[in-house]
Amino acid sequence: MAALVRGLRAGRVLRGLGSVQGIVSPQCRNVRRGFHRATLLRLADDSKSGTSVPPPSFHEVPTAGESSSSSEPLEDGQPNTSYQDQSGEHGEDYETEEQLQVRILTSALEFVPEHGWTVEAIAAGAETLGLSSASTGMFNNGAGDLVLHFVAQCNAQLAETLAEQHNLVQLGQAESKETAEFLRDAVEMRLRMLIPYIDTWPQAMSILLLPHNIPDSLKHLSTMVDDVWYYAGDRSTDMNWYTRRAALTGIFNTTELVMVQDSSPDFEETWDFLDNRIKDVVNMANTAKQVQATGEALVQGLMGAAITLKNLTGMNQRR
Amino acid sequence: MQRFVRPQLMLRGSQQTILPTAGQPCRNSISAVPCVRGRGYSVLPPTNDEEEKAMLHRMMRVDHAGEYGANRIYAGQMAVLGCTQTRPLIQEMWDQEKKHLSKFNEILGDNRVRPTLLLPLWNIAGFALGAGSALLGKEGAMACTVAVEESISEHYNSQIRTLMEKDPEKYTELLQMIKEFRDDEMEHHDTGLEHDAESVPGYQLMKAIIQAGCKAAIYVSQRV
Repeated sequence: MAALVRGLRAGRVLRGLGSVQGIVSPQCRNVRRGFHRATLLRLADDSKSGTSVPPPSFHEVPTAGESSSSSEPLEDGQPNTSYQDQSGEHGEDYETEEQLQVRILTSALEFVPEHGWTVEAIAAGAETLGLSSASTGMFNNGAGDLVLHFVAQCNAQLAETLAEQHNLVQLGQAESKETAEFLRDAVEMRLRMLIPYIDTWPQAMSILLLPHNIPDSLKHLSTMVDDVWYYAGDRSTDMNWYTRRAALTGIFNTTELVMVQDSSPDFEETWDFLDNRIKDVVNMANTAKQVQATGEALVQGLMGAAITLKNLTGMNQRR
Repeated sequence: MQRFVRPQLMLRGSQQTILPTAGQPCRNSISAVPCVRGRGYSVLPPTNDEEEKAMLHRMMRVDHAGEYGANRIYAGQMAVLGCTQTRPLIQEMWDQEKKHLSKFNEILGDNRVRPTLLLPLWNIAGFALGAGSALLGKEGAMACTVAVEESISEHYNSQIRTLMEKDPEKYTELLQMIKEFRDDEMEHHDTGLEHDAESVPGYQLMKAIIQAGCKAAIYVSQRV
């Protein structure tokens, strides 16, 4: 028990060090992770085993200077009620760590307008769930985890909505849209999800551009663009697959940039910009088709001329 | 080749609902095999396992690239030998390859499989190989056919082996399809041999080079 407390204190100190320097060594991270995971699992364990004596470590968390009141709900004499408050835990089912992380990050999103995309927001989110703010140690990537979680959540929401619309069209209860209109609506829908966080979004974008976040953010972006094109009806299996997705990625990213510095009412300028970009892409596609058709016609003309020439000079005849 | 699918247009308020024919019911969530009208079965079994999905997608990607390349090879051969006696022979084999390619296009579209980035390369390389081998005459074209079809058959066989090792029942439709295609390719291989493929000068060397190229192409297409 005492060892656990010492570990917690050590973990907190290390975290403090980490935030000052901005760099946390892997060992510190592992220590933090190990101790905080152990702490949270103990939380889950004790509330389920029904012990009426909470482990002393939780008493000592407030005395060590932590201002969290999160331990209060767990200290009551009827531990059975405490775990009923936490959704996802009932009976013998344990919540997985990923589920817990998802819950913490989702509740942390409320505090983003106040604290920005930072570990403080995660800590505040954890506290609303009745957990110690030290549970931010679970998130190795800190603010990056929060931003990536938000992006994944938005993309999932978008995919769900598009799938529902797709089903309605297939069942004949709705009309299908033109490609350009569909793309416009999908991108607008996705960007509107940023509106509650638009003031702090530049910070989130810069977090997504950090080298260690780039693989994940690119993965989210490419999945989202693939989803949009799939529901727009794209079934191409040649280079069009790549060019279409590249075009939509460009449209999405530039529109996002316009949006963060747009101050017009309801972001009208952003939607106008989006309209124009989509028109550009459609024009380019049409031009490309025209060029190809012209090229083919030209080749046929040249072949015809060559054959005529061969006929005139008598080269075509068999002797 | 551009393929665009517009979902059924229906008058709003119409009482008719169009449901897919016997087979998979329409699901709201995104599955590996979405609801497609008229298709009563799916060649790729739906799966939630990421690794399995990646493996299946890789297989379909490389097979699609292979059929695309084979198509271009026959196109190249036809471009050179189109006015000779071998025309009907090449045309028949080419038509079968076109059928294979359209089947793979269907699978890629339905299952949201990414096509390989190297398709333009296979386009040019395939046509060049076909045309180049046809310049050596009918025997050269047949030799090229024999070499390529042997490589492709070997590749399909290894895929069949992999799937059989994993779970023959789960992949029944997929195995059936690959076996059918492999049999077609073996038929082309035998046709090539019948039509004096081996009498081309430098047959062994040509065959070795082409098969090495095919192996490299398969290796790369699985990864890019």
